[in-house]
Amino acid sequence: MATVLIDNLTKIFPPTATHPSQVQALGGVNISVTGNVLVAILGPSGSGKTTLLNIVAGVEEPTSGTVRAVQDSVPAQISYVFQEPRLLPWRTVVDNMLYVQDRKSDRSRREAEFYLSMVGLSEVGDLYPSQLSAGMQQRVGIARAFLVNPDVLLMDEPFSHLDALTGRSLREYVQRIWLQTRKTALLVTHDVNEAVELADRIVLLRPGGVIYDDIPVDLPRPRFPDNPAVRDVQADVLRRFDSMGAAVQFGGARR
Amino acid sequence: MSAVPSVAPDAISQLSAQELRRSVWRRWGLRSTVVIGWVVFVGVWYLFSSFLGQALLPPLHTVVNRAWELITEGGFGSNLISSVTRLVGGFLLALVAGTGVGLLIAYNDWWRNLLQGPLQLIISLPTISLAVMTLILFGISPLGPVLMTMLVAIPYITMNVAQGITGVDRKLIVMSEAFGRTRRQIVKDILVPSSILSTLGGARLAFAVAWRMELLAEVFASSQGIGFQIRRSFESYDTQAMLAWTVLFVAVMLLFENFVLRRIDRWAGRWRMQDWGANP
Ligand SMILES: Nc1ncnc2c1ncn2[C@@H]1O[C@H](COP(=O)(O)OP(=O)(O)O)[C@@H](O)[C@H]1O
Ligand SMILES: [Mg+2]
Repeated sequence: MATVLIDNLTKIFPPTATHPSQVQALGGVNISVTGNVLVAILGPSGSGKTTLLNIVAGVEEPTSGTVRAVQDSVPAQISYVFQEPRLLPWRTVVDNMLYVQDRKSDRSRREAEFYLSMVGLSEVGDLYPSQLSAGMQQRVGIARAFLVNPDVLLMDEPFSHLDALTGRSLREYVQRIWLQTRKTALLVTHDVNEAVELADRIVLLRPGGVIYDDIPVDLPRPRFPDNPAVRDVQADVLRRFDSMGAAVQFGGARR
Repeated sequence: MSAVPSVAPDAISQLSAQELRRSVWRRWGLRSTVVIGWVVFVGVWYLFSSFLGQALLPPLHTVVNRAWELITEGGFGSNLISSVTRLVGGFLLALVAGTGVGLLIAYNDWWRNLLQGPLQLIISLPTISLAVMTLILFGISPLGPVLMTMLVAIPYITMNVAQGITGVDRKLIVMSEAFGRTRRQIVKDILVPSSILSTLGGARLAFAVAWRMELLAEVFASSQGIGFQIRRSFESYDTQAMLAWTVLFVAVMLLFENFVLRRIDRWAGRWRMQDWGANP
Protein backbone atom coordinates (compact mmCIF):
# COMPACT_ATOMS: atom_id res chain seq x y z
CA MET A 1 0.00 0.00 0.00
CA ALA A 2 1.35 3.37 -0.98
CA THR A 3 1.64 6.31 1.36
CA VAL A 4 2.48 9.91 0.61
CA LEU A 5 3.45 12.02 3.61
CA ILE A 6 3.87 15.71 2.99
CA ASP A 7 5.22 17.32 6.12
CA ASN A 8 5.34 21.08 6.68
CA LEU A 9 6.48 21.73 3.13
CA THR A 10 7.58 25.22 2.16
CA LYS A 11 8.99 26.52 -1.07
CA ILE A 12 10.28 30.03 -1.57
CA PHE A 13 11.53 30.99 -5.01
CA PRO A 14 14.36 33.52 -4.92
CA PRO A 15 13.93 36.79 -6.81
CA THR A 16 14.48 36.56 -10.56
CA ALA A 17 14.98 39.08 -13.34
CA THR A 18 11.28 39.03 -14.19
CA HIS A 19 10.20 38.79 -10.55
CA PRO A 20 12.21 41.16 -8.37
CA SER A 21 10.81 39.92 -5.07
CA GLN A 22 10.90 36.38 -3.74
CA VAL A 23 7.78 34.25 -4.13
CA GLN A 24 6.33 31.98 -1.50
CA ALA A 25 4.89 29.12 -3.51
CA LEU A 26 4.21 26.82 -0.58
CA GLY A 27 3.75 27.95 3.01
CA GLY A 28 3.85 24.89 5.22
CA VAL A 29 1.73 22.21 3.60
CA ASN A 30 0.77 19.04 5.47
CA ILE A 31 -1.02 16.28 3.60
CA SER A 32 -1.07 12.60 4.38
CA VAL A 33 -2.48 10.17 1.88
CA THR A 34 -2.66 6.43 2.37
CA GLY A 35 -4.09 3.66 0.28
CA ASN A 36 -6.01 3.53 -2.92
CA VAL A 37 -7.44 6.99 -2.90
CA LEU A 38 -7.49 9.85 -5.31
CA VAL A 39 -6.90 13.19 -3.65
CA ALA A 40 -7.58 16.40 -5.50
CA ILE A 41 -5.56 19.50 -4.73
CA LEU A 42 -7.78 22.38 -5.69
CA GLY A 43 -6.59 25.93 -5.86
CA PRO A 44 -6.55 29.02 -8.02
CA SER A 45 -3.73 29.52 -10.46
CA GLY A 46 -0.49 30.46 -8.74
CA SER A 47 -1.36 28.76 -5.46
CA GLY A 48 1.65 26.44 -5.68
CA LYS A 49 -0.07 23.31 -6.98
CA THR A 50 2.51 22.49 -9.66
CA THR A 51 5.34 23.26 -7.27
CA LEU A 52 3.84 20.82 -4.78
CA LEU A 53 3.63 18.00 -7.33
CA ASN A 54 7.14 18.72 -8.62
CA ILE A 55 8.52 18.36 -5.11
CA VAL A 56 6.62 15.11 -4.59
CA ALA A 57 8.00 13.88 -7.93
CA GLY A 58 11.50 14.81 -6.84
CA VAL A 59 12.19 17.22 -9.68
CA GLU A 60 12.18 20.28 -7.41
CA GLU A 61 13.84 20.79 -4.01
CA PRO A 62 11.73 22.14 -1.13
CA THR A 63 12.97 25.10 0.90
CA SER A 64 12.03 23.21 4.04
CA GLY A 65 9.89 20.29 5.08
CA THR A 66 9.87 16.75 3.78
CA VAL A 67 8.03 14.48 1.40
CA ARG A 68 7.98 10.74 1.75
CA ALA A 69 6.37 8.52 -0.85
CA VAL A 70 6.69 4.86 0.07
CA GLN A 71 5.23 1.57 -1.00
CA ASP A 72 5.54 -1.18 1.60
CA SER A 73 8.34 0.85 3.21
CA VAL A 74 10.44 1.15 0.01
CA PRO A 75 10.48 4.30 -2.12
CA ALA A 76 7.38 4.39 -4.28
CA GLN A 77 7.50 4.28 -8.05
CA ILE A 78 6.04 7.60 -9.17
CA SER A 79 4.57 8.61 -12.47
CA TYR A 80 3.46 12.00 -13.65
CA VAL A 81 0.85 13.31 -16.07
CA PHE A 82 1.79 16.87 -16.96
CA GLN A 83 -0.27 19.84 -17.96
CA GLU A 84 1.02 19.33 -21.51
CA PRO A 85 1.69 15.97 -23.17
CA ARG A 86 5.52 16.26 -23.02
CA LEU A 87 6.21 13.66 -25.68
CA LEU A 88 9.50 13.32 -27.55
CA PRO A 89 8.78 14.56 -31.08
CA TRP A 90 11.31 12.16 -32.60
CA ARG A 91 9.79 9.03 -31.15
CA THR A 92 6.61 7.23 -32.11
CA VAL A 93 3.76 7.01 -29.64
CA VAL A 94 4.68 3.51 -28.46
CA ASP A 95 8.38 4.36 -28.24
CA ASN A 96 7.50 7.44 -26.22
CA MET A 97 5.77 5.19 -23.75
CA LEU A 98 8.58 2.65 -23.66
CA TYR A 99 11.07 5.45 -23.00
CA VAL A 100 9.86 5.77 -19.41
CA GLN A 101 9.88 2.04 -18.75
CA ASP A 102 12.82 0.36 -17.03
CA ARG A 103 12.45 -3.31 -17.81
CA LYS A 104 11.56 -3.72 -21.42
CA SER A 105 10.34 -7.16 -22.35
CA ASP A 106 8.60 -8.76 -25.28
CA ARG A 107 5.38 -7.88 -23.53
CA SER A 108 6.20 -4.16 -23.20
CA ARG A 109 4.91 -3.23 -26.59
CA ARG A 110 1.65 -5.06 -26.10
CA GLU A 111 1.24 -3.48 -22.66
CA ALA A 112 1.78 -0.05 -24.17
CA GLU A 113 -0.86 -0.77 -26.74
CA PHE A 114 -3.20 -2.04 -24.05
CA TYR A 115 -2.96 1.23 -22.12
CA LEU A 116 -3.42 3.16 -25.33
CA SER A 117 -6.64 1.31 -25.94
CA MET A 118 -7.68 2.12 -22.36
CA VAL A 119 -7.63 5.80 -23.27
CA GLY A 120 -9.47 5.13 -26.51
CA LEU A 121 -6.43 5.17 -28.79
CA SER A 122 -5.69 2.21 -30.93
CA GLU A 123 -3.83 2.05 -34.21
CA VAL A 124 -1.78 5.14 -33.37
CA GLY A 125 1.17 3.37 -31.80
CA ASP A 126 3.42 3.88 -34.81
CA LEU A 127 2.52 7.51 -35.42
CA TYR A 128 4.60 10.46 -34.30
CA PRO A 129 3.16 12.95 -31.78
CA SER A 130 2.91 15.67 -34.43
CA GLN A 131 0.45 13.47 -36.28
CA LEU A 132 -1.97 13.50 -33.33
CA SER A 133 -4.36 16.15 -32.05
CA ALA A 134 -3.67 17.85 -28.73
CA GLY A 135 -6.29 15.71 -27.02
CA MET A 136 -4.81 12.51 -28.41
CA GLN A 137 -1.33 13.54 -27.33
CA GLN A 138 -2.58 14.19 -23.82
CA ARG A 139 -4.15 10.73 -23.79
CA VAL A 140 -0.79 9.26 -24.73
CA GLY A 141 0.64 11.11 -21.73
CA ILE A 142 -1.97 9.46 -19.51
CA ALA A 143 -1.37 6.01 -20.99
CA ARG A 144 2.37 6.49 -20.48
CA ALA A 145 1.81 7.28 -16.80
CA PHE A 146 -0.16 4.08 -16.27
CA LEU A 147 2.24 1.91 -18.27
CA VAL A 148 4.96 2.04 -15.61
CA ASN A 149 2.46 0.62 -13.12
CA PRO A 150 3.20 3.34 -10.58
CA ASP A 151 2.60 3.18 -6.86
CA VAL A 152 1.80 6.87 -6.83
CA LEU A 153 0.24 8.74 -9.73
CA LEU A 154 0.61 12.50 -10.01
CA MET A 155 -1.57 14.51 -12.39
CA ASP A 156 -1.12 18.23 -12.95
CA GLU A 157 -4.24 19.77 -14.51
CA PRO A 158 -4.24 17.10 -17.21
CA PHE A 159 -7.39 18.45 -18.85
CA SER A 160 -6.87 22.18 -18.60
CA HIS A 161 -5.30 22.68 -22.03
CA LEU A 162 -8.09 20.90 -23.86
CA ASP A 163 -11.41 22.15 -25.12
CA ALA A 164 -14.39 21.46 -22.84
CA LEU A 165 -15.72 18.45 -24.75
CA THR A 166 -12.36 16.72 -25.11
CA GLY A 167 -11.59 17.45 -21.47
CA ARG A 168 -14.83 15.92 -20.36
CA SER A 169 -14.36 12.71 -22.31
CA LEU A 170 -10.78 12.44 -21.08
CA ARG A 171 -12.03 12.77 -17.51
CA GLU A 172 -14.25 9.77 -18.09
CA TYR A 173 -11.30 7.76 -19.39
CA VAL A 174 -9.22 8.68 -16.37
CA GLN A 175 -12.04 7.78 -14.00
CA ARG A 176 -12.43 4.43 -15.71
CA ILE A 177 -8.74 3.50 -15.64
CA TRP A 178 -8.41 4.72 -12.10
CA LEU A 179 -11.34 2.51 -11.04
CA GLN A 180 -9.58 -0.47 -12.60
CA THR A 181 -6.15 0.23 -11.20
CA ARG A 182 -6.89 2.18 -8.00
CA LYS A 183 -3.54 3.90 -7.78
CA THR A 184 -2.78 6.26 -4.95
CA ALA A 185 -3.18 9.50 -6.83
CA LEU A 186 -2.77 13.24 -6.42
CA LEU A 187 -4.74 15.28 -8.92
CA VAL A 188 -4.00 18.98 -9.17
CA THR A 189 -6.77 21.12 -10.61
CA HIS A 190 -8.39 24.52 -10.51
CA ASP A 191 -11.72 23.10 -11.65
CA VAL A 192 -14.21 22.40 -8.86
CA ASN A 193 -16.37 20.09 -10.98
CA GLU A 194 -13.40 18.03 -12.03
CA ALA A 195 -12.26 17.63 -8.43
CA VAL A 196 -15.66 16.45 -7.24
CA GLU A 197 -16.06 14.10 -10.17
CA LEU A 198 -12.79 12.31 -9.58
CA ALA A 199 -11.62 12.67 -5.99
CA ASP A 200 -12.20 10.95 -2.66
CA ARG A 201 -10.94 14.03 -0.90
CA ILE A 202 -10.36 17.62 -1.87
CA VAL A 203 -7.60 19.73 -0.37
CA LEU A 204 -8.22 23.44 -0.93
CA LEU A 205 -5.06 25.45 -1.46
CA ARG A 206 -5.01 29.21 -1.36
CA PRO A 207 -2.42 31.60 -2.82
CA GLY A 208 0.84 31.40 -0.95
CA GLY A 209 0.46 27.63 -0.85
CA VAL A 210 -1.46 27.30 2.41
CA ILE A 211 -4.16 24.70 2.97
CA TYR A 212 -7.52 26.34 3.49
CA ASP A 213 -9.81 23.35 3.77
CA ASP A 214 -9.82 19.57 3.50
CA ILE A 215 -13.10 18.11 2.27
CA PRO A 216 -13.95 14.41 2.06
CA VAL A 217 -16.05 13.46 -0.96
CA ASP A 218 -18.20 10.47 -0.25
CA LEU A 219 -19.94 9.70 -3.51
CA PRO A 220 -20.37 6.37 -5.27
CA ARG A 221 -18.45 5.71 -8.48
CA PRO A 222 -18.58 5.96 -11.40
CA ARG A 223 -19.68 9.56 -11.06
CA PHE A 224 -21.33 11.52 -13.80
CA PRO A 225 -21.33 15.28 -14.06
CA ASP A 226 -25.12 15.51 -14.33
CA ASN A 227 -25.85 13.30 -11.33
CA PRO A 228 -27.80 15.33 -8.68
CA ALA A 229 -25.69 14.12 -5.76
CA VAL A 230 -22.52 15.07 -7.62
CA ARG A 231 -24.00 18.47 -8.37
CA ASP A 232 -24.87 19.06 -4.71
CA VAL A 233 -21.32 18.36 -3.62
CA GLN A 234 -19.99 20.53 -6.43
CA ALA A 235 -22.15 23.40 -5.25
CA ASP A 236 -20.92 22.95 -1.70
CA VAL A 237 -17.24 22.84 -2.70
CA LEU A 238 -17.73 25.82 -4.98
CA ARG A 239 -19.14 27.79 -2.02
CA ARG A 240 -16.08 27.00 0.06
CA PHE A 241 -13.80 27.79 -2.86
CA ASP A 242 -15.48 31.18 -3.21
CA SER A 243 -15.34 31.88 0.51
CA MET A 244 -11.61 31.21 0.33
CA GLY A 245 -11.33 33.98 -2.24
CA ALA A 246 -13.21 36.32 0.11
CA ALA A 247 -11.05 35.30 3.04
CA VAL A 248 -7.92 36.11 1.09
CA GLN A 249 -9.35 39.39 -0.12
CA PHE A 250 -10.46 40.65 3.27
CA GLY A 251 -7.35 39.62 5.08
CA GLY A 252 -9.02 36.74 6.85
CA ALA A 253 -6.12 34.56 5.87
CA ARG A 254 -2.68 34.66 7.41
CA ARG A 255 0.01 36.25 5.32
CA MET B 1 -21.97 0.21 -55.89
CA SER B 2 -21.38 3.37 -53.99
CA ALA B 3 -23.66 6.26 -54.73
CA VAL B 4 -21.14 8.97 -54.01
CA PRO B 5 -19.34 9.99 -57.23
CA SER B 6 -20.89 13.12 -58.58
CA VAL B 7 -17.86 13.97 -60.71
CA ALA B 8 -17.28 11.57 -63.55
CA PRO B 9 -14.05 9.58 -63.10
CA ASP B 10 -13.06 10.66 -66.61
CA ALA B 11 -13.22 14.28 -65.63
CA ILE B 12 -10.92 13.57 -62.71
CA SER B 13 -8.32 11.82 -64.81
CA GLN B 14 -8.54 14.54 -67.43
CA LEU B 15 -7.99 17.14 -64.77
CA SER B 16 -5.03 15.34 -63.32
CA ALA B 17 -3.53 14.79 -66.77
CA GLN B 18 -3.74 18.50 -67.31
CA GLU B 19 -2.17 19.20 -63.96
CA LEU B 20 0.56 16.69 -64.72
CA ARG B 21 1.36 18.36 -68.04
CA ARG B 22 1.47 21.72 -66.40
CA SER B 23 3.80 20.56 -63.63
CA VAL B 24 6.07 18.85 -66.18
CA TRP B 25 6.27 22.08 -68.11
CA ARG B 26 7.01 23.99 -64.98
CA ARG B 27 9.77 21.58 -63.99
CA TRP B 28 11.41 21.73 -67.42
CA GLY B 29 10.96 25.48 -67.40
CA LEU B 30 12.92 25.69 -64.16
CA ARG B 31 15.62 23.36 -65.46
CA SER B 32 16.04 25.35 -68.61
CA THR B 33 16.45 28.48 -66.46
CA VAL B 34 19.43 26.82 -64.79
CA VAL B 35 20.91 26.00 -68.20
CA ILE B 36 20.35 29.57 -69.40
CA GLY B 37 22.18 30.82 -66.31
CA TRP B 38 25.24 28.74 -67.15
CA VAL B 39 25.14 29.71 -70.81
CA VAL B 40 25.07 33.38 -69.86
CA PHE B 41 27.97 32.83 -67.46
CA VAL B 42 30.09 31.16 -70.14
CA GLY B 43 29.14 33.84 -72.67
CA VAL B 44 30.17 36.64 -70.30
CA TRP B 45 33.45 34.84 -69.64
CA TYR B 46 34.33 34.71 -73.35
CA LEU B 47 33.18 38.27 -73.84
CA PHE B 48 35.46 39.59 -71.10
CA SER B 49 38.30 37.38 -72.18
CA SER B 50 38.14 38.86 -75.71
CA PHE B 51 38.13 42.39 -74.23
CA LEU B 52 40.88 41.83 -71.68
CA GLY B 53 43.05 39.56 -73.75
CA GLN B 54 44.15 35.97 -73.22
CA ALA B 55 46.84 36.81 -70.70
CA LEU B 56 44.50 38.51 -68.27
CA LEU B 57 41.47 36.26 -68.67
CA PRO B 58 42.15 33.09 -70.66
CA PRO B 59 39.13 31.65 -72.50
CA LEU B 60 37.22 29.02 -70.59
CA HIS B 61 38.24 26.03 -72.74
CA THR B 62 41.95 26.72 -72.22
CA VAL B 63 41.37 26.79 -68.46
CA VAL B 64 39.50 23.48 -68.67
CA ASN B 65 42.35 21.98 -70.74
CA ARG B 66 44.89 23.21 -68.27
CA ALA B 67 42.87 21.78 -65.38
CA TRP B 68 42.85 18.41 -67.14
CA GLU B 69 46.62 18.61 -67.55
CA LEU B 70 47.01 19.39 -63.87
CA ILE B 71 44.95 16.36 -62.99
CA THR B 72 46.78 13.98 -65.32
CA GLU B 73 50.39 15.19 -64.97
CA GLY B 74 50.52 18.42 -62.99
CA GLY B 75 50.47 17.07 -59.47
CA PHE B 76 46.88 17.95 -58.66
CA GLY B 77 46.44 14.76 -56.64
CA SER B 78 49.39 15.29 -54.31
CA ASN B 79 48.59 18.97 -53.77
CA LEU B 80 44.94 18.16 -53.12
CA ILE B 81 45.91 15.57 -50.55
CA SER B 82 48.18 17.98 -48.79
CA SER B 83 45.51 20.70 -48.72
CA VAL B 84 42.71 18.39 -47.68
CA THR B 85 44.81 16.86 -44.92
CA ARG B 86 45.32 20.27 -43.37
CA LEU B 87 41.70 21.21 -43.92
CA VAL B 88 40.41 18.04 -42.30
CA GLY B 89 42.88 18.39 -39.44
CA GLY B 90 41.84 21.95 -38.71
CA PHE B 91 38.19 21.16 -39.14
CA LEU B 92 38.23 18.15 -36.81
CA LEU B 93 40.09 20.14 -34.18
CA ALA B 94 37.46 22.85 -34.54
CA LEU B 95 34.69 20.27 -34.21
CA VAL B 96 36.05 19.02 -30.91
CA ALA B 97 36.97 22.42 -29.49
CA GLY B 98 33.82 24.09 -30.83
CA THR B 99 31.55 21.46 -29.32
CA GLY B 100 33.31 21.78 -25.98
CA VAL B 101 33.06 25.55 -25.95
CA GLY B 102 29.46 25.34 -27.18
CA LEU B 103 28.49 23.16 -24.21
CA LEU B 104 30.33 25.50 -21.86
CA ILE B 105 28.45 28.48 -23.24
CA ALA B 106 25.10 26.71 -23.18
CA TYR B 107 25.37 25.80 -19.52
CA ASN B 108 27.27 28.71 -18.05
CA ASP B 109 26.29 32.36 -18.31
CA TRP B 110 29.70 33.55 -17.14
CA TRP B 111 31.49 31.77 -19.98
CA ARG B 112 28.87 32.91 -22.45
CA ASN B 113 29.38 36.54 -21.53
CA LEU B 114 33.12 36.08 -21.65
CA LEU B 115 33.31 34.30 -25.00
CA GLN B 116 30.47 35.76 -27.04
CA GLY B 117 32.43 38.90 -27.93
CA PRO B 118 35.61 37.16 -29.08
CA LEU B 119 33.60 34.65 -31.11
CA GLN B 120 31.73 37.44 -32.87
CA LEU B 121 35.05 39.14 -33.51
CA ILE B 122 36.53 36.04 -35.14
CA ILE B 123 33.46 35.71 -37.35
CA SER B 124 33.76 39.28 -38.56
CA LEU B 125 37.54 39.27 -39.12
CA PRO B 126 38.38 39.31 -42.85
CA THR B 127 39.99 36.01 -43.83
CA ILE B 128 42.65 37.89 -45.75
CA SER B 129 43.94 39.52 -42.55
CA LEU B 130 43.99 36.14 -40.88
CA ALA B 131 45.94 34.70 -43.79
CA VAL B 132 48.57 37.42 -43.48
CA MET B 133 48.65 36.87 -39.71
CA THR B 134 49.31 33.19 -40.37
CA LEU B 135 52.47 34.11 -42.24
CA ILE B 136 53.57 36.57 -39.56
CA LEU B 137 52.94 34.21 -36.66
CA PHE B 138 53.91 30.84 -38.07
CA GLY B 139 56.00 31.60 -41.13
CA ILE B 140 55.88 29.10 -43.94
CA SER B 141 54.75 25.94 -42.17
CA PRO B 142 51.94 23.40 -42.28
CA LEU B 143 50.91 24.33 -38.74
CA GLY B 144 49.69 27.85 -39.53
CA PRO B 145 46.97 26.93 -42.05
CA VAL B 146 45.72 24.14 -39.75
CA LEU B 147 45.39 26.43 -36.75
CA MET B 148 43.82 29.27 -38.73
CA THR B 149 41.32 26.87 -40.27
CA MET B 150 40.45 25.68 -36.81
CA LEU B 151 40.13 29.23 -35.52
CA VAL B 152 37.65 30.41 -38.15
CA ALA B 153 35.58 27.23 -37.94
CA ILE B 154 35.21 27.19 -34.14
CA PRO B 155 32.70 30.06 -33.76
CA TYR B 156 30.21 28.53 -36.18
CA ILE B 157 30.31 25.18 -34.46
CA THR B 158 30.24 26.73 -30.99
CA MET B 159 27.28 29.00 -31.70
CA ASN B 160 25.22 26.24 -33.24
CA VAL B 161 25.98 23.66 -30.60
CA ALA B 162 25.07 26.20 -27.92
CA GLN B 163 21.93 27.14 -29.77
CA GLY B 164 20.95 23.49 -30.13
CA ILE B 165 21.50 22.81 -26.45
CA THR B 166 19.71 25.91 -25.18
CA GLY B 167 16.85 25.13 -27.56
CA VAL B 168 16.23 21.82 -25.81
CA ASP B 169 12.76 21.68 -24.29
CA ARG B 170 13.47 21.84 -20.54
CA LYS B 171 10.09 20.28 -19.88
CA LEU B 172 11.17 17.08 -21.60
CA ILE B 173 14.13 16.89 -19.24
CA VAL B 174 11.88 17.40 -16.22
CA MET B 175 9.59 14.69 -17.59
CA SER B 176 12.55 12.33 -17.90
CA GLU B 177 13.67 13.06 -14.36
CA ALA B 178 10.17 12.55 -12.99
CA PHE B 179 10.14 9.10 -14.57
CA GLY B 180 13.57 8.34 -13.13
CA ARG B 181 15.54 8.35 -16.38
CA THR B 182 19.32 8.33 -16.01
CA ARG B 183 21.59 11.15 -17.09
CA ARG B 184 22.89 8.97 -19.92
CA GLN B 185 19.38 8.37 -21.22
CA ILE B 186 18.60 12.07 -21.08
CA VAL B 187 21.72 12.91 -23.09
CA LYS B 188 21.11 10.20 -25.66
CA ASP B 189 17.36 10.56 -26.03
CA ILE B 190 16.77 14.28 -25.44
CA LEU B 191 19.91 16.39 -25.76
CA VAL B 192 21.48 14.74 -28.79
CA PRO B 193 18.33 14.42 -30.90
CA SER B 194 17.24 17.98 -30.15
CA SER B 195 20.58 19.53 -30.98
CA ILE B 196 21.92 17.32 -33.75
CA LEU B 197 20.38 19.17 -36.68
CA SER B 198 21.51 22.56 -35.46
CA THR B 199 24.98 21.16 -34.75
CA LEU B 200 25.27 19.69 -38.23
CA GLY B 201 24.05 22.96 -39.73
CA GLY B 202 26.83 24.71 -37.83
CA ALA B 203 29.35 22.15 -39.03
CA ARG B 204 28.36 22.77 -42.64
CA LEU B 205 28.76 26.52 -42.27
CA ALA B 206 32.05 25.97 -40.48
CA PHE B 207 33.28 23.72 -43.28
CA ALA B 208 32.41 26.28 -45.93
CA VAL B 209 34.41 28.92 -44.07
CA ALA B 210 37.19 26.47 -43.22
CA TRP B 211 38.15 25.48 -46.75
CA ARG B 212 38.20 29.07 -47.94
CA MET B 213 40.45 29.99 -45.01
CA GLU B 214 42.69 27.01 -45.57
CA LEU B 215 43.15 27.90 -49.23
CA LEU B 216 43.96 31.51 -48.46
CA ALA B 217 46.36 30.61 -45.65
CA GLU B 218 48.22 28.37 -48.09
CA VAL B 219 48.49 31.22 -50.57
CA PHE B 220 50.41 33.23 -48.00
CA ALA B 221 52.09 30.78 -45.70
CA SER B 222 52.71 27.42 -47.28
CA SER B 223 55.16 25.65 -49.52
CA GLN B 224 52.75 23.03 -50.72
CA GLY B 225 49.06 22.52 -51.40
CA ILE B 226 46.65 24.10 -53.80
CA GLY B 227 46.83 27.57 -52.28
CA PHE B 228 50.60 27.51 -52.71
CA GLN B 229 50.20 26.46 -56.37
CA ILE B 230 47.81 29.35 -56.89
CA ARG B 231 50.40 31.76 -55.53
CA ARG B 232 53.15 30.25 -57.66
CA SER B 233 51.02 30.59 -60.80
CA PHE B 234 50.27 34.18 -59.84
CA GLU B 235 53.93 34.97 -59.32
CA SER B 236 54.78 33.65 -62.77
CA TYR B 237 51.87 35.58 -64.32
CA ASP B 238 50.24 32.29 -65.34
CA THR B 239 46.58 33.27 -65.02
CA GLN B 240 45.50 30.12 -66.80
CA ALA B 241 47.08 27.86 -64.18
CA MET B 242 45.84 30.06 -61.36
CA LEU B 243 42.28 29.74 -62.58
CA ALA B 244 42.67 26.04 -63.25
CA TRP B 245 43.91 25.31 -59.71
CA THR B 246 41.13 27.43 -58.24
CA VAL B 247 38.36 25.91 -60.32
CA LEU B 248 39.50 22.38 -59.53
CA PHE B 249 39.67 22.95 -55.79
CA VAL B 250 36.37 24.77 -55.63
CA ALA B 251 34.75 22.02 -57.66
CA VAL B 252 36.00 19.34 -55.28
CA MET B 253 34.80 21.29 -52.26
CA LEU B 254 31.38 22.01 -53.73
CA LEU B 255 30.93 18.39 -54.71
CA PHE B 256 31.83 17.39 -51.18
CA GLU B 257 29.43 19.91 -49.65
CA ASN B 258 26.58 19.00 -51.93
CA PHE B 259 26.89 15.26 -51.87
CA VAL B 260 28.62 14.11 -48.73
CA LEU B 261 27.55 16.79 -46.26
CA ARG B 262 24.00 16.98 -47.47
CA ARG B 263 23.74 13.22 -47.27
CA ILE B 264 24.96 13.30 -43.68
CA ASP B 265 22.26 15.86 -42.88
CA ARG B 266 19.58 13.70 -44.39
CA TRP B 267 20.89 10.65 -42.62
CA ALA B 268 20.81 12.52 -39.29
CA GLY B 269 17.25 13.62 -39.94
CA ARG B 270 16.22 10.03 -40.48
CA TRP B 271 18.25 8.74 -37.56
CA ARG B 272 16.52 11.22 -35.28
CA MET B 273 13.13 9.89 -36.25
CA GLN B 274 14.03 6.25 -35.91
CA ASP B 275 12.73 4.09 -33.12
CA TRP B 276 15.68 3.33 -30.94
CA GLY B 277 13.57 2.68 -27.89
CA ALA B 278 11.79 -0.45 -28.94
CA ASN B 279 14.81 -2.74 -29.13
CA PRO B 280 17.36 -2.02 -26.41
N1 LIG C 1 10.79 28.32 -11.24
C1 LIG C 1 10.16 29.34 -10.62
N2 LIG C 1 10.83 30.47 -10.33
C2 LIG C 1 10.21 31.50 -9.69
N3 LIG C 1 8.93 31.49 -9.33
C3 LIG C 1 8.20 30.39 -9.60
C4 LIG C 1 8.77 29.26 -10.28
N4 LIG C 1 7.82 28.31 -10.43
C5 LIG C 1 6.69 28.82 -9.88
N5 LIG C 1 6.92 30.07 -9.37
C6 LIG C 1 5.94 30.91 -8.68
O1 LIG C 1 5.39 30.17 -7.61
C7 LIG C 1 3.99 30.38 -7.51
C8 LIG C 1 3.28 29.05 -7.62
O2 LIG C 1 3.45 28.53 -8.92
P1 LIG C 1 2.81 27.15 -9.38
O3 LIG C 1 3.23 26.09 -8.43
O4 LIG C 1 3.13 26.96 -10.79
O5 LIG C 1 1.26 27.46 -9.19
P2 LIG C 1 0.00 26.69 -9.81
O6 LIG C 1 0.47 25.42 -10.40
O7 LIG C 1 -0.94 26.53 -8.65
O8 LIG C 1 -0.59 27.62 -10.83
C9 LIG C 1 3.63 31.34 -8.62
O9 LIG C 1 3.54 32.64 -8.06
C10 LIG C 1 4.77 31.26 -9.57
O10 LIG C 1 4.98 32.50 -10.21
MG1 LIG D 1 0.28 24.75 -12.40
